[in-house]
Amino acid sequence: MSDPFSLTGFVYLQGSSRRTDARLDCAQHDGVAWVCIIATDGAELARSPLSEVQIDAALGRTARKLSFADGTVFETSDHDGFAQLDGNSHGARLHRLERFGPHLIGFTIACLAGAYLLWRYGLDILAALAVAMTPAVVVEQIDRGTLQTIDYVMAEPSRLNEAEKDRARMIYERVIAVLPDEERNARDFTLLFRDMPSVGPNAFALPGGTMVMTDDLIRSFANENVLAGILGHEIGHVVEEHGLRRLYRSLGAYILVALLAGETGPLMEDLLLEGNALLALSYGRKQETSADEFGLTLSHRAGYDPAGLKQFFEALSNMMGEEIQWMSSHPSHENRIKAIDTFIDGLPPR
Amino acid sequence: MSPEQTPHSRQFQFTGNAKEWFGVWIVNLLLSIVTIGIYSAWAKVRTKKYFYGNTHVDGRNFDYHATGGQILKGRLIVIAAIVVFQIVVTLMPILGIILLIALVIFYPWLLTRAMMFNARVSSFSNVRFNFVGTYGQAFKVFFIYPILCLLTLYTTFPILDRAMKRFSIDNHRLGTAAFEMNAKISAFYKAAGLALLWIVAVFAIAALTMGFSITALGEASLAMENDPGAAIAVIGAFYLVFFLGFIPAGVIYQAFTRNVIYNGTTLEGGHRLRSNVSAPQLFWIAVSNLVVVVCTLGLMLPWAQIRITRYLANHTGVELGSSVDDFIGVQQDATSALGDAYADIEGIDVGLPI
Repeated sequence: MSDPFSLTGFVYLQGSSRRTDARLDCAQHDGVAWVCIIATDGAELARSPLSEVQIDAALGRTARKLSFADGTVFETSDHDGFAQLDGNSHGARLHRLERFGPHLIGFTIACLAGAYLLWRYGLDILAALAVAMTPAVVVEQIDRGTLQTIDYVMAEPSRLNEAEKDRARMIYERVIAVLPDEERNARDFTLLFRDMPSVGPNAFALPGGTMVMTDDLIRSFANENVLAGILGHEIGHVVEEHGLRRLYRSLGAYILVALLAGETGPLMEDLLLEGNALLALSYGRKQETSADEFGLTLSHRAGYDPAGLKQFFEALSNMMGEEIQWMSSHPSHENRIKAIDTFIDGLPPR
Repeated sequence: MSPEQTPHSRQFQFTGNAKEWFGVWIVNLLLSIVTIGIYSAWAKVRTKKYFYGNTHVDGRNFDYHATGGQILKGRLIVIAAIVVFQIVVTLMPILGIILLIALVIFYPWLLTRAMMFNARVSSFSNVRFNFVGTYGQAFKVFFIYPILCLLTLYTTFPILDRAMKRFSIDNHRLGTAAFEMNAKISAFYKAAGLALLWIVAVFAIAALTMGFSITALGEASLAMENDPGAAIAVIGAFYLVFFLGFIPAGVIYQAFTRNVIYNGTTLEGGHRLRSNVSAPQLFWIAVSNLVVVVCTLGLMLPWAQIRITRYLANHTGVELGSSVDDFIGVQQDATSALGDAYADIEGIDVGLPI
């Protein structure tokens, strides 16, 4: 900006909606750029060094605004003239990026790729970081709190006799003994028994290492290999931190969708949330498969027949029938049995 | 189809276009993804500024003045609160219930704050809006009315809806000038009745033509194990009837009530708002927008947004009772963006209904 120039537009006085035609004169005085608003009758309404004026960033073809310190605002639609004034500052680079052109094709592809990468890896990395940052006390408290809720809502004290409990405990000790020391010592592994008629033969693990077997499970399966396989599977969930990772992942996905929703529109937001719920289920199924493999390896190393886990799913399949896989948090029994067969074939000899 | 023209009537004009907005939108999205959502605060500002800046009445535009930094700060606090809340619910369910009750009590305050923030960072013709709703009013509208609505099996929904709209409109100010909404409750009931009629008609036609009934759905879920294909077909038909019934009913209700609300709203200075949207046109735009957006993996969303905004602007107007030059701004305290961030994340719309 070396030569003086003028822009035509409108002026608003501070705190008023009154709009009048005006001119903005721009000139250099002693190496400092000055701007001043001149009314149509020639009166000077405001004057200031350019550096003390607030300039709104360019956005599409919306009017450009200059706000003076005293609240006077000059507005113009002379975009080319305005470019002389603010040159390459005030978001001009961003404005150039936003201009319609072939480069937007690249941006579009980058968006799709970025969204995929964020979902595929970014969320996992964030979840892993969050898991690492969660103090051990909190994890222990999760176990305590969850167990309290389960006891309150759906579990009764176990009706097993001591001999039945001891049999399960012995298998548990044997399986957990082959776990690497650092994994075993990192958590407070405990085995509990509960009578839960509503969930059938089942077992579950909490992130801190608490494991619960139902009475039904121990009474239905006399075969030690079955119980060893199930315990190995549950230990797998604990060691691989599945519970917490899933919690953080779904929380992270929810927040991301909410933040991006402004850019996707309300209907797309619903689609994203629904899609995300389905993808979370698929993520859960991957975790189950991973825990299956962990359990097979562990029970195999502890001297049990890994085919025990397979027998369990075969029995379940006969008892309950199949559900539709993509709507479920667990893989279908049939697929699990097949995957277990394949995995057992690949296990090293003891 | 523009609102009735008199010497004092002015139509809203929207000058945004799809090509230009696509560029802004895709850059917003890209930067938001690359920064794991952080840029979304600035993206929100650019989005609002674009749509406000391109909306004109009598040659003057609206504007949005919040900064990305303000929005980001609010969002970080709300996200931290959500994470803590989630962890507490998992850790100590009993304490979680207490926190939930606290949130319920806090909720009207958050929404009032959100509306206040939004109003104060929005302007028309250089004069800022304001929002003066109180916690007591908000509590009534967001708790007492919904409970009454539930107790009366939704027959009083139009009363709840009118109370919410009135809470929003009557508490808004443009500078010192107050908005006031006067709409007969019978008009809301008429809109709800028409929407209900549509639903009943769709279900009646479906029942006649497809033999569709709840029992069929029950049988389908039983038959699921044996014949998943048939079950999915029945569920699909159920969704189709649901969408053909409920979504258009929502559009019908909104179109009619929008007209009633706008036509009953005045702004101090003798200005009267006008609206004449048509339910079939609005429905056509909503459905075709959705189809196009889904088929293009969301890439046509900017076009869809411009299209609906332009339609609404073209069917909105104001009859000026005095000069637009006479609004006077008020000095306002800055408000934190906390409520606004909460509304954003929970997907509650608190912006100006322009």
